Amino acid sequence: MAELRRDPVVSRWVIVDTEHPSKPEDFEYEQYIPAGGLCPFCYGNEFMTPPEISCFRDPSTGANTPGWQVRVVANKFPALQIEGELDRRGLGIYDMSNGIGAHEVLVESPYHNKDIPELLNGEIESYLKMCCVRAADLKRDSRFKYIMVFRNYGPAAGASLEHPHTQLVALPMVPKNALEEIHGSRDYYNYRERCIFCDIIRQEVSDKARVILENKYFISFCPFVSRFPFEIMIMPKQHSGYFCHMSGDEISALAQIMKDTLGKLKKVFENLSYNYIIHSAPINGEADVEYYHWHIEIMPKLTQVAGFEWGTGFYLDPTSPELAAQYLKAVKE
Amino acid sequence: MPELRKDPIIGRWVIIATERARRPDQFEGHKEQDDHSACPFCEGREANTPPEIYAIRPHNSTRNGPGWDLRVVPSIAPFLRVEGDLDRRGNGLYDVMNGLGAHEVVIETNQHIANMADLSEEQITKVLNCYSDRIIDLEKDNRLKYVLVFKNYGKGSGGGAIRHSRSQLIATPVNPKRVKEELAGSRQYYEYHERCVFCDLIKQELAQKERIIAEFDGFVAIAPFAARFPFETWILPKKHCCDYTCLDADSRRHLAHVLKTVLSKLKTGLNDPDYNYIIHTAPFRRQKIGYWKTIDQDYHWHIEIMPRLSKVAGFEWGTGFYICPLPPEETAKFLREVKV
Repeated sequence: MAELRRDPVVSRWVIVDTEHPSKPEDFEYEQYIPAGGLCPFCYGNEFMTPPEISCFRDPSTGANTPGWQVRVVANKFPALQIEGELDRRGLGIYDMSNGIGAHEVLVESPYHNKDIPELLNGEIESYLKMCCVRAADLKRDSRFKYIMVFRNYGPAAGASLEHPHTQLVALPMVPKNALEEIHGSRDYYNYRERCIFCDIIRQEVSDKARVILENKYFISFCPFVSRFPFEIMIMPKQHSGYFCHMSGDEISALAQIMKDTLGKLKKVFENLSYNYIIHSAPINGEADVEYYHWHIEIMPKLTQVAGFEWGTGFYLDPTSPELAAQYLKAVKE
Repeated sequence: MPELRKDPIIGRWVIIATERARRPDQFEGHKEQDDHSACPFCEGREANTPPEIYAIRPHNSTRNGPGWDLRVVPSIAPFLRVEGDLDRRGNGLYDVMNGLGAHEVVIETNQHIANMADLSEEQITKVLNCYSDRIIDLEKDNRLKYVLVFKNYGKGSGGGAIRHSRSQLIATPVNPKRVKEELAGSRQYYEYHERCVFCDLIKQELAQKERIIAEFDGFVAIAPFAARFPFETWILPKKHCCDYTCLDADSRRHLAHVLKTVLSKLKTGLNDPDYNYIIHTAPFRRQKIGYWKTIDQDYHWHIEIMPRLSKVAGFEWGTGFYICPLPPEETAKFLREVKV
């Protein structure tokens, strides 16, 4: 019999097929093989993007020329616009405002064909450091309440360009999913005076069944209430509300665990598309970091979200996280 | 300038991204072929499905034999089953229970027709009647709290490779989160205004007209103000009712007409796109007396149709914010003009 499991933070129920679980070979997923071609994110094509906002580059090179390691530019087709006022207003029963916000693209490395597992540790560290630099900078704009860092890798994950890149969006209001996590963790904190995410880490470390990797500062595991097969969570072991407050040592540890965890995932599923998102606390007075704990959610694109999920917010996970963790652990590096 | 719009029922914000707006012809539908000789849902292959739960068939035909008009069978790979106990339990800080419920497949026609848009209005009426009959039957099982009726059409919507028109019902032992959000939102609105938020929404849409796609005998099809997806369409009954099963026979015929019209407009206008639809109706209201209080007044059943033209990406998963690249006013204008 299948199991229903409830997410302790947002109270979402998930149906986990523990009876006839799908094994890695059972998934028919869209294969992602980069085709190459003219790329605005490759060396020499810097003129094709809006001018760079921030960059780690060889000091002897000039802005918007080759010689960079990580490059941040404004999104050429931004979902939100940086100039202007929010101007909240009503329209009969509806509420609306102007689409104010920031939408930046972070080109992770000069290499068109290298995903995170193929990069050197130092390269991943520069990339993560740049994510922190940009988030810390956007945080200073008091119009923004939330910064979302996310990555779409492969067309099935919604990436429209091949060259690996991460996006940052600064929003003028705290989005619904973040609010749900904040309310859930606040209620837990008010009752127990402990962070729910710290408790989850404790339970995962003692249960062991879902843990993939662990180092001094981070743990990667398949969450007990996974919405998707082979969903992975990476969490800092030290309580912290904001990822952009990471120390140098923590950045190195995160680079290592991301490289190894994603490397394992991509060995189990070749040519996989996936998303990851960084959940961090809201900014500018919108939440208390006592009870919120930042983390990374990795979502492989192995299945389609269908009518049932849209209609109910229930998810069907065909592979239990315990089984997924077993497969991932078994991958030799 | 892009706009942020808030869904008046559940409070979800969406970005109507005017800067990256795409014209309707820039969305591409695509259709794969299938091998129809292997379809387990066609007439004459009744042995390839589990035994039927419900069928519309002449009296002189036999159960699980040919001659039917519509059949309902249990899903061959059900996630939830009717046998057993719920057995709610804890596992450290996690909550667990058994996967109790029901999962049924409505085979909408005995012909190998893929898109519901291509069924006759009469046949669609039978499907709509069947939904009602099945919901009423499942309500008798006290362990169940909610039934979701939904359809996945095409591979991109999770509909699988077999192109035979069908929909599904899943009955769950708990009220799903998305439904609870709608119930809570409409109840809150009712507490303050003493009016149904959906009724107010319909009035405003009928007055403003710019988001109306079709209107027919008691039903209205609109592109919602805070649409998540390009060409998202809602069908709402003008007459207030929280429960889909309260529709009378005439209304179901009218609904069949509206549903066929909208699905045909999507098919013709967008080159046969994949889509999902779901029916949001009130949960079974048989718990503690007084628990549901005003639900009969505050909730309003409806259908949401979601063509699958763009991919849901990291941003949407992370935030619950959706970026819709086409303003709903343009969706409505385009679909109004498609001749079917």
